[in-house]
Amino acid sequence: MLQYLGLENGVITLILSTLFLALWKMWPTKKWDPRGQFCYVTGGSSGLGLAVAIALTKRGAHVTIVARNEERLAKALAELEKTRQSSNQILRSYSFSLTDADASYAALEAASKDHGNKYPDTVFMCAGAARPGFFVEEDAKSMQKGMDNTYWIQAYTALAYTKQLVRSQTSGKLVFTCSLLGYMSLIGYSTYSPGKHALRGLAESLRSELILYNSSVHIMFSGNIDSPGYVEENRTKPKITLEIESTDKPTAPDVLAKELINGVQRGDFHIAPDMLSNIIRSSTTGATPHHNVLLDVLYALIGWIGLPLWRRGVDSTVLKHRKEHKDYLATRGFFKSTD
Amino acid sequence: MLGQLWAKSWDPKGKHCYVTGGSSGLGLAVAKLLVLKGAHVSVVSRNAQRLESAMKELETVRTSPNQVLKSYSYDLITATGAREALDAVCEPHQRRNPDAIFMLAGSCHPRFFIEETEETMKTQMDQTYWVQAWTALEASKRMVRDKSKGKIVFHSAYIGYITLIGYAAYGPGRMAIRALADTLRQEFLLYDIDIHIAFPGTMYTPGYDIENATKPKITLKIEETDPGVTGDQYAKGLLRGVQSGDFHISPDLLGNIFRASMRGVAPSSNFFVDSFWNFIGWVGLPIWRMTVDSTVKGHRKEHEEYLSNKGFYSSSNKSFSQ
Repeated sequence: MLQYLGLENGVITLILSTLFLALWKMWPTKKWDPRGQFCYVTGGSSGLGLAVAIALTKRGAHVTIVARNEERLAKALAELEKTRQSSNQILRSYSFSLTDADASYAALEAASKDHGNKYPDTVFMCAGAARPGFFVEEDAKSMQKGMDNTYWIQAYTALAYTKQLVRSQTSGKLVFTCSLLGYMSLIGYSTYSPGKHALRGLAESLRSELILYNSSVHIMFSGNIDSPGYVEENRTKPKITLEIESTDKPTAPDVLAKELINGVQRGDFHIAPDMLSNIIRSSTTGATPHHNVLLDVLYALIGWIGLPLWRRGVDSTVLKHRKEHKDYLATRGFFKSTD
Repeated sequence: MLGQLWAKSWDPKGKHCYVTGGSSGLGLAVAKLLVLKGAHVSVVSRNAQRLESAMKELETVRTSPNQVLKSYSYDLITATGAREALDAVCEPHQRRNPDAIFMLAGSCHPRFFIEETEETMKTQMDQTYWVQAWTALEASKRMVRDKSKGKIVFHSAYIGYITLIGYAAYGPGRMAIRALADTLRQEFLLYDIDIHIAFPGTMYTPGYDIENATKPKITLKIEETDPGVTGDQYAKGLLRGVQSGDFHISPDLLGNIFRASMRGVAPSSNFFVDSFWNFIGWVGLPIWRMTVDSTVKGHRKEHEEYLSNKGFYSSSNKSFSQ
């Protein structure tokens, strides 16, 4: 009799706590507001970075964009000026090569000079690039460049920013931008998905560690972005990779920018901007905090069946490609090379 | 998945196995096991002295006078080092590519993120990612060019699935190598090369002592209840996984739970068993994470004092050299 009562209580507790957890995420909490905040956006001269910078400017933030190309930066700054909301907004641009550690530090230093040496309230790390190719055609340079343009280009900024946050005993936010290729991988991305997975690893460790400093981390996992970078990437992408990705339409940068800012406002750690990202996110959660538990269970169930089926289809496509690939390598002199 | 029930188990006997990091820890344990099973074994690592004592150990488990057991000293964190090591390793075998490459070289140096420098972050990436990636690149090119069959075995760690405070430089490298293995598993369907990747947790090896030398106290505290194994114990599980054709190899309870919870798109050897592990992780991991977060939160004051004692707040150094 007592056992039966205990079980009943246990079930009730389970149901109530599940409902609580499910509703909790829907409860309006104090949202992060960019208005008046000093926001630092890397890769801010084009693509996702520029869209994020424009969206932040529209919401009244002070925005500093950092990238390498001065011409693109000038054009980007002009676009930010067009969406200026008030004369008080500080909108600036700086040219630095963020795959270099010291330059990443110097960039933050330069940006802070416009704000009385105060470091940004939030850092949006949108810099990055992809050069897909077959692994056996890569070399030391392309592999290094791949890691530089996916991981180091955000990691150095994160390190410089975090050190200063802690030194000055203030709190802040780090926002990384990652890819579905930070959750899983695909033929052709051997120089890209490692760096993107590395970003996930960094964000995960930092989420745990930044609790010491009352600062937060966010990281968005998006699919292909309809940007100049995407056009560039597709020029050298293996045909088989293009074929596998052909059903995925790239998303407009301003749509992703909106999702990113909304995700930061909601306090989401992993930000998944669409259905597919949510399904993959929930299928590779590990110890990452859930969003809405009930929804995540649903996404995970879809992924549980859907993802293995999708993968088998892709594997089958790759297997069928063997002969064509052998011919491709032969035409490129691969089998004769002694290098 | 079903195909594996009928697949012939891979037999190392008579095969040439190249083991990096083979002079100590897990690498040495795997090398010994391969020798016991009748393989020709080539061992590469940096330290010539350790290589010498490792070779003596390998000789004690030799099963036949025909086995070719060799060792070479190379640093594998550069593409050049990896290439030269591979040249040396193939030489006694008529320049033929190894049948299997076990990449077990590497080391772990945990610390607080804010105490990292450019140099320490790069070293950690070298010791988790590049030390394997360069060998994989060199070997792959040769194996594809020569149309050889073979196996490439990577290693990551629990931290390549689930990471936490103290591992901000190490976790990325372990996750990166997982991504490389995942990419190559699919890409190498184009060739006759199998990919495997093992995920050890706590192993009582010389590497573990090195790791604990810099590990933050809070990380040690969080990990204190983690079960550990010896290098020899893990080596058995690793080799079993390779022989059975498992892609992600995780021959222990926590490893299986982590792997299944992070499965994403990676294939599993047993869909139903993995779904069970996944369910356990789904419930258990958030609870674990919340307790860890709470422990970290409780550590704030002690951490502030620690940084203060190290002069962190008074430093005005605005570069990465400190």
